Amino acid sequence: MITPETFDELQQAVRSVDRVRVRGGGTKNVLSADATISTEKLSGILEYEPSEYTFTALAGTPLKDIAAALAENGQFLPFDPPLVEAGATLGGTVACGLSGPGRFRYGGLRDFFLGVRMVTGDGRVVFGGGKVVKNAAGFDIPKLVVGSLGRFGVLGELTFKVFPAPATWTTIRAEFPDFKSANAAMIRVAMSQEEVYCLDVEPTGAVSIRIGGLGDAQAVRTDRVRSLLDGAQVEISTGEAEQQLWNDIREFRWVPNGHSLIRLPLNPGQVETAEKLLAPQAGPRRYSVGGNLAWIAWSDSAAADSLLTACRELGRKPLPLIGNWSGGVPSAEAGGAFETRLLDIFDPQRKGDLVPS
Amino acid sequence: MSAEQFFAELRRIYPADRLLTGRAQLAPYESDGLTSFRARPSGVVLPETQQEVIDTVKICHKYEVPFLARGSGTSLSGGSVPIEDGLVIALNRLKRIIRYDAEQRVAVVEPGVINTAVSERAAVDRLYYAPDPSSGPVCTIGGNVAFNSGGAHCLKYGMTSNHVLGMKVVLPDGTVEQLGSDSLEGSGPDLTGMFIGSEGLFGVALEITLRLLPKPEKYYTLQAAYDSLEKAGTAVAMVVASGLLPGAMEIMDRLSMDAADAAIGAGYPKDAKAVLIVELEGTSDEVEAEKPRLHKVIEESGAYIIEAARDDEHRLKIWKGRKSAFSAVGRLSPDFIVQDGVVPRTKLGHALKEIDKLSEQYGIRVANVFHAGDGNLHPLVMFDGRQPGGLEHAEELAGEIIRLCIRLGGSITGEHGVGLEKRAYIGEMYGEDDIEFMQQLRRSVDPLELANRGKKLPSAEAPALTSVGAHPLEKQGIISRE
Amino acid sequence: MQHDIPTQSFGPLGEPMADAIQKCVHCGFCLPVCPTYQVHGEEMDSPRGRIFLMKEVLEGNVELDEATPYIDKCLGCVGCITACPSGVGYGELITAFRATSEEKRERSVVDKTLRKFILETLPYPGRFRLAATAGRLAKPLKGVMPGRLGDMLDLLPKSLPPAQKLPEVFPAEGERRARVALLAGCAQQVLAPDINMATLRVLAKNGVEVVIPKSQSCCGALAAHTGAASQAKQFAKQNIKAFPPNVDAILTNAAGCGSGMHEYALWLRGEPEESAAAEFVKRVCDVSVFLEKLGLRETPSLSAPTKVAYHDACHLAHAQKVRSQPRALLRTIGNLDLVEIPSGDICCGSAGTYNIEQPETAGQLGHQKAQNIASVEPDAVATGNIGCMTQIETHLREVAFGKPIPVLHTMQILDRAYRGEAL
Ligand SMILES: Cc1cc2nc3c(=O)[nH]c(=O)nc-3n(C[C@H](O)[C@H](O)[C@H](O)COP(=O)(O)OP(=O)(O)OC[C@H]3O[C@@H](n4cnc5c(N)ncnc54)[C@H](O)[C@@H]3O)c2cc1C
Ligand code: SF4
Ligand code: SF4
Repeated sequence: MITPETFDELQQAVRSVDRVRVRGGGTKNVLSADATISTEKLSGILEYEPSEYTFTALAGTPLKDIAAALAENGQFLPFDPPLVEAGATLGGTVACGLSGPGRFRYGGLRDFFLGVRMVTGDGRVVFGGGKVVKNAAGFDIPKLVVGSLGRFGVLGELTFKVFPAPATWTTIRAEFPDFKSANAAMIRVAMSQEEVYCLDVEPTGAVSIRIGGLGDAQAVRTDRVRSLLDGAQVEISTGEAEQQLWNDIREFRWVPNGHSLIRLPLNPGQVETAEKLLAPQAGPRRYSVGGNLAWIAWSDSAAADSLLTACRELGRKPLPLIGNWSGGVPSAEAGGAFETRLLDIFDPQRKGDLVPS
Repeated sequence: MSAEQFFAELRRIYPADRLLTGRAQLAPYESDGLTSFRARPSGVVLPETQQEVIDTVKICHKYEVPFLARGSGTSLSGGSVPIEDGLVIALNRLKRIIRYDAEQRVAVVEPGVINTAVSERAAVDRLYYAPDPSSGPVCTIGGNVAFNSGGAHCLKYGMTSNHVLGMKVVLPDGTVEQLGSDSLEGSGPDLTGMFIGSEGLFGVALEITLRLLPKPEKYYTLQAAYDSLEKAGTAVAMVVASGLLPGAMEIMDRLSMDAADAAIGAGYPKDAKAVLIVELEGTSDEVEAEKPRLHKVIEESGAYIIEAARDDEHRLKIWKGRKSAFSAVGRLSPDFIVQDGVVPRTKLGHALKEIDKLSEQYGIRVANVFHAGDGNLHPLVMFDGRQPGGLEHAEELAGEIIRLCIRLGGSITGEHGVGLEKRAYIGEMYGEDDIEFMQQLRRSVDPLELANRGKKLPSAEAPALTSVGAHPLEKQGIISRE
Repeated sequence: MQHDIPTQSFGPLGEPMADAIQKCVHCGFCLPVCPTYQVHGEEMDSPRGRIFLMKEVLEGNVELDEATPYIDKCLGCVGCITACPSGVGYGELITAFRATSEEKRERSVVDKTLRKFILETLPYPGRFRLAATAGRLAKPLKGVMPGRLGDMLDLLPKSLPPAQKLPEVFPAEGERRARVALLAGCAQQVLAPDINMATLRVLAKNGVEVVIPKSQSCCGALAAHTGAASQAKQFAKQNIKAFPPNVDAILTNAAGCGSGMHEYALWLRGEPEESAAAEFVKRVCDVSVFLEKLGLRETPSLSAPTKVAYHDACHLAHAQKVRSQPRALLRTIGNLDLVEIPSGDICCGSAGTYNIEQPETAGQLGHQKAQNIASVEPDAVATGNIGCMTQIETHLREVAFGKPIPVLHTMQILDRAYRGEAL
């Protein structure tokens, strides 16, 4: 594994290997096993201007460092990336296209990613997007590489948009007697004007709702959200405990040993079907982002195929991240004509090697 | 294969009244919101189904005829100027909302659907489609997609690409593909995002899946008057530093206030040099809590009149003034160029001073309206086209403003796109290699360069514009200006 | 937008035309409000497209004959003026353009005959009455008539109300608060004489004395909007002379006439009467504007609760910017619940002779309008224009919807309320 320390070295590294697979923090072991290039030494925030709401950092910068720098200025990453404490890097998070539960409020990683300098699969340095919050010139290459799992090349330098962080947080956890009524409550909250940050449901019938903002308004706003949760047992948390609650969710501490972690996009209308399909075999799971994303723990002893079948039935591609997953990486399968034609330019020799053998 | 055969095939799809070739039928399609460029197409087709669009693209591909997908023709950068002797595919009759699902907060629309029609449809459920270009009641979602259009309220929720989840598109050779889906979260590369903002170079969007948001429960709109533009600029930085996240922050200078006053009697303070509009939005309790904080910041920023919208009607009036400013400048000057540059927000004050200097130096009036929240300037450069050299002189100044934006680390366009107009500058913002790379991407998707040929990227068959003297495209007889 | 129009060569009308074109910035804000654009979805049938086409014709780049089909489709509803942020004087442009191009255009024989027939009949109540009666008799023959004449027959009522002779002076009741003159209107007198009578009674009730000058003529709008400039000028000159100077206002109760009279200064540009026309125009206003300003002496009430939908006649709402006044008057009526019509800004397709000249588009618009009206389920429709009334009545009949919905002039509703009747 080559560990470049400068952009030039990164370019040389890409040119010198015949199979490009990158490892950032190694937190998504399914995707970074057998990596040929590590971004570990390509780390650091290059520019951060709080009043611009933007920063530029190298791909190997741990999210932890970024979150800390932002927090000093009362700002945060609104797409709420997962695995921050575990050591995920900025580049790895972009390549996997990962956002956390808080993306429900303003948008996902794709919505905050402004510019990229990268080395393409054939070793060229390319700049796409811009460094200002608004830019309509050129093709939106930053969007293209979100979730691309490195197939277009290696990300080097990334520019992001950030927001001021809410001053206080409150979480309302409502236990409904069954999943169906929990799901209905989730839709109710999603359609309401309450502007919640997180909106997750668990198979047990628990709905977790996170609101944020100025301290003065939290109590009234909490009551208003509660009024949408008729028939549930409600528990309110604030402060440290509240932070910890979401940290545990984002760090996937709820995934038991001997399980892989799978990410699966959905739409809210599919949540009930998904639950029916998954319930018989899946381990713990969460329906996050108002029913737009499922995180599924899958036991090593359960057949990978039955999960793949369920996903196909839902018309969605799962992305395995962590564990001893044996079912391949469907999100990495070849795309259609548009993608192929773009790939012909980014990586004509198809050096970007995605699916671990 | 000849033009006759090409039209014969088109006639198999279109009845005479939907295949326009007459002089009077084509003339109104010759230009867009920027009338300085004109080109005559060989025909205009008015498809009524997606299949007709697909078949049309296939025929164009077969006969190697370049085509332009056209929405409402409100592009301000020459983006919807036809390709000389190419075909215009006018999508205005494809205006069905195919699916509307309030619970999932999505709408699937055809490309000819008008921007504001989506929010109108969703209003019953108190949902809306967030991107709000000033041209909202006119422009189409297809055009918005091509240009990644945004508006005053983009600070918080982003532009078109942040609200499109998926799309069905036809590539320039007739291949039909579904990009993205109807989920907020994607899998695999974000091809939808890549297509958006490509100014029609990657093909035609046939069906677009939009994300809807709950309408903010409350707006609190405040208008503050300043005795200098700079102070208004500083106020924006102060609001940002305070940790507030307004839905919109807009500045208008004296000239644009005059224009809006003339158009709709907006009633701005007569002696103000700038007004700043700040709008908070959200749940009513949150907005209530934010109000005093905002007032404090604005007071400290040196505003000498602070006026809050009394009610909905007043708020709409404030916005109407802002939104009409563009076209209202037509009352102050026979012609004008709308510029669209971005500078880092911290350099706003500096940029405005420089523009002022340039305006004086050139002896040309420049009105300024801008999305101050995200540093997006819209200088309106006024000129009289009947004066010899008037346009050239104005273009030169407009060019200097754009270079200023690049120098300050910004962008040559925030939302209007490159189109025809800005192709000279894209090479200054991106390096030669980057441009070459984009060319390669384009040719890989569309080897014959049929889709919107000659736009966005400088290319061999249509060289980059210069800002001085006669237009090179004009010299070659490719476009003409009045 | 820049242009190369040889302004001088178009006489006194060159300048207003060039001015309107110059002011257009091609922004397209007028597109969504234009009824013909809504129906056809093509640029040539939009205000922006028409302006561009007129420019091309005036510059000599496009043959007039090629452009006329699209210019002709314009309803003259001037919805585009209201929507235009740049202040383009579209009304002046289209009227002037029609006037300057009429002599150059080549019309087919049928077209010519029809046009001649219209211009020589409609402006003259007597002749119109005759023709309408004859037309009514011809109804069974519709199948064998050329299409457009047949369509025209459709709009004629089954029976004509008896002719009404208007007095020269209609005195005020009680203390006199004002003295006005009234334009009697042409087609209106024949099709719905009750509108004038109701207007007179309502004005009288409010202490207004009305004079109806005998020597007045048609307002001329019909002629002007079909390009018959010299006929329009004649009418204008005659009216300027006919209306006495010693009245508080010159009232119209048909939106089309009102907006036409407001254009007298334009029609008479370059004529000796130009300045007199400008003065005259200042005194013309719609009856609803006058009454609302004067204030109702006593507020009337209908005998039963009635839901009334108000229809904005284009020539009131867009051309004269009269929207609030008739609504305000209607709202003062007891037992009356006023409702708005969805997409109320869009023309009903009546627009003068449009019904006759562009029956297809007119039909589609009328149908749309009727559906929109039906959607709010009113008991009656109020409006301020005879053209709209016939158009809407015709199309409401097609939109199957249980009970018939009467279409009345705002003054008729006030009149019935004063008499304590139902609608
Ligand atoms: C008064 C005024 C104010 C404006 N304000 C704003 C503003 O605030 N913010 C902003 O961002 N813009 C603004 N604009 C610019 C313009 O309205 C936008 O660029 C708009 O998105 C264009 O939409 P349209 O339907 O008119 O597209 P057109 O002008 O017809 O086309 C624009 C481009 O889109 C392509 N296109 C159209 N449909 C499709 C399709 N289905 N698939 C692929 N390509 C397609 C065309 O080929 C062309 O390149 C303004 C314009 C005006 C006149
Ligand atoms: S007058 Fe009416 S029909 Fe004519 S262009 Fe204007 S809006 Fe369209
Ligand atoms: S709204 Fe006015 S300026 Fe804009 S295109 Fe229409 S007429 Fe021209």
